[in-house]
Amino acid sequence: MDIDLEVKLAVYGYFVETSARPASDEVARRLGVSVGTVRDAFARLRAQRLLFLEEDGEIRMAPPFSGIPTQHVVDVGGRSYFANCAWDALGIPAALRKEAAVLSRCEQSGVPLRLAVGLEGPEPSDWLFHCAVPAARWWDDLVFT
Amino acid sequence: MLFFRSEERVREWCEARGWPVRPLVRMNQLWGLATAWYATRLQPDSRRPRPAEMRGIFAGLGLDDDFWSPEKNL
Repeated sequence: MDIDLEVKLAVYGYFVETSARPASDEVARRLGVSVGTVRDAFARLRAQRLLFLEEDGEIRMAPPFSGIPTQHVVDVGGRSYFANCAWDALGIPAALRKEAAVLSRCEQSGVPLRLAVGLEGPEPSDWLFHCAVPAARWWDDLVFT
Repeated sequence: MLFFRSEERVREWCEARGWPVRPLVRMNQLWGLATAWYATRLQPDSRRPRPAEMRGIFAGLGLDDDFWSPEKNL
């Protein structure tokens, strides 16, 4: 297995287990490699748009998981995860292939959203998803998107 | 990429910022996007959809506006 794949699986495994982002030194410890090796892999995974990094090179997002608290919380089997956006809020149960409750809000009114998501998708709902940024520009400023 | 209670709330939010209202996505369509992007993300052989695949995913969900084009810079 190449190092980029090992790092990617270690990062996602850490998010799934802990709900938190792993620091590069934690990934290095788990894999038995140097921090520099992990940092280089982070940069390549960023280039593949599989990770989004902070300015210091540590992980901000491993989509659909967010490394920092957001308004989109996904409860799965007693563990809560933060999602990067509304899309990723449904992406977490899709990735985990588990039932979940998505807790968020209407961005205009603040009305809370609680959406049950089963293995086959969300319960019937007339809520809407809106993205202000066209698809071609999503990664220009991923935090804003 | 945000949730809204209704189309009216989307219009209010966009008007307050002077931004255009973009195509609205229903929850079942959003589930289609979520599964297309992430259903295999935790597996070793996963990858993001490529641009040509993205177009097919969007079109399959009825999202065929230019807004969804991975190349068109609107």
